[in-house]
Amino acid sequence: MNLIEFSDIRKTYTIGSVTIDALAGVSFDIGEHEFVAIMGPSGSGKSTLMHILGCLDTPTSGAYRLEDHDVSELRSNDLARIRNRDIGFVFQAYNLLPQLTALENVLLPCTYSTHVISGRDERARAHELLERIGLKDRMNNRPVEMSGGEQQRVAIARALMMNPPVILADEPTGNLNSKGAREIIDIMKELHADGKTIVYVTHDDTIGAEAERVIRIQDGCVVADERN
Amino acid sequence: MDLRDSFRNATRAIFAAKMRSFLTMLGIIIGIAAVVMLMAVGSGTKQSILSRMQSSGSGNLYLTAGARSNVLMGGGGPGGPGERSGASSGAKITAEDLTYIEARITYPIVVSPTNQTNITIKNGDTTMSGTGIFATPTYFEVENVTIADGRMISTSDIDNRTRNVVIGATVQTTLFPNESAVGQPIRINGASYKVVGVAVAKGETVGSSVDTAIVLPFSVGEKSFGVVHKVIQRTTIKCVDPTQSSAVTTEITDILTRKHKKVDFSIQDVAAMTELVTSAMTILTTLLAAIGGLSLLVGGIGIMNIMLVSVTERTREIGIRKALGARERDILVQFLIESSLLSIAGGVLGIVVSVLGSDFIVSRFTTTVVTGSSILLAVGFSIAVGVFFGVYPARTAARMKPVDALRYE
Repeated sequence: MNLIEFSDIRKTYTIGSVTIDALAGVSFDIGEHEFVAIMGPSGSGKSTLMHILGCLDTPTSGAYRLEDHDVSELRSNDLARIRNRDIGFVFQAYNLLPQLTALENVLLPCTYSTHVISGRDERARAHELLERIGLKDRMNNRPVEMSGGEQQRVAIARALMMNPPVILADEPTGNLNSKGAREIIDIMKELHADGKTIVYVTHDDTIGAEAERVIRIQDGCVVADERN
Repeated sequence: MDLRDSFRNATRAIFAAKMRSFLTMLGIIIGIAAVVMLMAVGSGTKQSILSRMQSSGSGNLYLTAGARSNVLMGGGGPGGPGERSGASSGAKITAEDLTYIEARITYPIVVSPTNQTNITIKNGDTTMSGTGIFATPTYFEVENVTIADGRMISTSDIDNRTRNVVIGATVQTTLFPNESAVGQPIRINGASYKVVGVAVAKGETVGSSVDTAIVLPFSVGEKSFGVVHKVIQRTTIKCVDPTQSSAVTTEITDILTRKHKKVDFSIQDVAAMTELVTSAMTILTTLLAAIGGLSLLVGGIGIMNIMLVSVTERTREIGIRKALGARERDILVQFLIESSLLSIAGGVLGIVVSVLGSDFIVSRFTTTVVTGSSILLAVGFSIAVGVFFGVYPARTAARMKPVDALRYE
């Protein structure tokens, strides 16, 4: 079964009198448990693609089905629910809230959940996730007290908190040294092995080589879709 | 997002920028303090005027000779005999007039005729000046004067022209500092009288105070003081039921106009004047509150300004929260709670400042009463300010597109 179906997705920006096609009709499917790398040079439209995939932005035209629901027509509240429940984000800049501790950052998605889970269960799960990524001792530290790699691991724990089927990673190793990057890639592979669908946006070929499948984007179009 | 989390977030954000939060609150503190203190001055002034009017007797009417066109321009007040334009043209109230009224009035009333003159009082070597009030026994009931020591002027004092007098509290303490004056002789304008009673101190009232006065029987002193008791300077009429005061006024006016064939007298109604003063003071208090309210408005704009800055600064945070599933409502509530908390905290501090300020500073210059309603109004207003001026920044935050907010550097 396809988890993600993109058919003829277009995104057009109008700046003054100039219209720019960031995405000029993109179509692909991503199945459950796939590990897909989306690759392309900067300006290729891969960020726009990633934003639409993550329901952070809506396409100008085209149909996007996620878990067999049409999400291209949804309103902002429903999109918020999908971002909360179905998608785990990992960003290049980590995007942790600086005023919160690691544990509080991991717990943050719960505060926007419509499910009623007891606070104790939430905390137990957050503890477990932080332990799993090796940050048991750093739980009560704030982001400024942690290295980039540690911060990104907290961000991964946060992405896993609501147990979404899809992990959407946007250049997660872009700000890290090679050791930190390696750790993140290993965690991603582990999550994939555990059954998560991973969509990994990068311009780094060596990382792309680790994925099962590579979709290449250029000038807003899919130019290659190949399996490793 | 549950409210407890929202409150925790909001307090964290407020404490993260202490100086800025305090300066923002300062606008509200000043605004609320201004409203509460100005209202305290307004209601304090109102209360002190009303208590003076009430101590001179509620439900009392003052009948004097001479027509007056305007009660407000009349001057003199209920206590001051003053010169009337009508007095020189021969208009007068006589004892016969009062008997005539009492015979015809249909409402229960108590009538107290008085004449007044300035006197010099002496005991041994101590001298003081005061007011001589020639009165009947009803005076004490009508004017709310109670006896601390001794007795009142009696009917037999009047009938026998006994030179017995009741002295005010200040006269007692000034002329008889070490002993009770009751039974002692006292010299008034050089003639000898006997003190039979001392009145309880009344404090300040509208018009002349009984404290510095001597009450003499309404029959003595025609020669020595030059007063003519046939003509009555001022008559106080007490309505047994104070709510009937305006009906009694109308009836007396009718009766006396019929007898005199013209309106050559005036009746002042304390209840009506009280009402007038009350409404005037309420307008004044409202006006003062409105002036204070202006500074509150400025404080509110300060909150809006800071919240807009805060929203811009935290655009990225808004983006992150949205990426994690925050709905527009969640973001809206978060910023509204923050602006309301700033405003409420400012309001509470403002109330503290105003209570301290009016107790320790303003009360030295004028009477202040911090009323519960002004505090409720202040709290309500500060919440309203926080919400009202918070809505625009909060909506700005809530409506940000997640992708734009996340990309913001």
